[in-house]
Amino acid sequence: MPLIVNGQTMPVPDPPTLERLLATLQPRRPYAVARNEEFIPGAAYRQCKVADGDRIEIVHPSAGG
Amino acid sequence: MQETLRLNGWSFESRLLLGTARYESPMQLVEAIKAADPAMVTVALRKQVQGGSHFGQSFWDILRAARRPLLPNTAGCYTAKEAVNTALMAREVFETDILKLEVIGDDQNLQPDPFGLVEAATELMKRGFCVLPYCTDDVVLCRRLLDAGCEALMPWAAPIGTGQGPRNPKALRELRDRFADVPLIVDAGLGLPSHACQVMEWGFDGVLVNSAVSRAVDPVRMAKAFGGAVQAGRLGYAAGPMPVQDLAVASTPEIGKPIWGDASQIVAKETV
Repeated sequence: MPLIVNGQTMPVPDPPTLERLLATLQPRRPYAVARNEEFIPGAAYRQCKVADGDRIEIVHPSAGG
Repeated sequence: MQETLRLNGWSFESRLLLGTARYESPMQLVEAIKAADPAMVTVALRKQVQGGSHFGQSFWDILRAARRPLLPNTAGCYTAKEAVNTALMAREVFETDILKLEVIGDDQNLQPDPFGLVEAATELMKRGFCVLPYCTDDVVLCRRLLDAGCEALMPWAAPIGTGQGPRNPKALRELRDRFADVPLIVDAGLGLPSHACQVMEWGFDGVLVNSAVSRAVDPVRMAKAFGGAVQAGRLGYAAGPMPVQDLAVASTPEIGKPIWGDASQIVAKETV
């Protein structure tokens, strides 16, 4: 299974951290991230490893009721 | 009686909460917020989707410009785990501890899952959230949510987005009586300003509407109408409604009428 970010297949970054992945993707701010359905706080991006098989979700403010 | 709506240590003049979804344009949302003058506006988290209807960056700019307290929701969550993780992400993005907790138990009528709600609320209270659960009018569920630490409840009037108005008025009014000191905000299912006015007359502390405004033909006018209806209902409740009775009572004084004749016959005739 490849690394999947918001439903799209992505290569695992080098080094394989969430921080590196986000630096590559440059998501629109503000955002929050979950890895395999678990919230990852911003302060933990540098330590958070990503690997093939992981599912990363990046979410943004959206309209809601 | 509280003159203002108090939640999470804040005090609000307005008792209307407004959802931000399903407007036709960012400008329409901006104008609706101005017209409704809401205490808070609800927001959500979603993935960035190509061609999505979330207005992208402009939505965030609108929120910041509106300068209203934000009430993030956990819409679309079907388990306590999903709701807790969504809440944690919302807290990081929106920088607020307050949360409208949604855990849905049925994908047809979007009815809250009482078991998931209590589980998620219990966990989120431990993590320092101010949880406002979107719930049904079930007294036992509401008691459990209060036991978990929720400081306010958001019972539904009818399923989300239906516009039906209060489907079970007796249950809602019983809830009001049973939890007299708990802020209760009617959420979901209202369609008309009169629905909002009605529940406010019953003594509810606030109303949350979204589709009733955004799906109206003229959402900005409807936003203003709901603002007025909530104010009128609250004033009516505060003023203390007259007692309802079966027999008619003439409001105009009988004494001094400019009519001659048998007074008893006249009164009988006039009361027909």
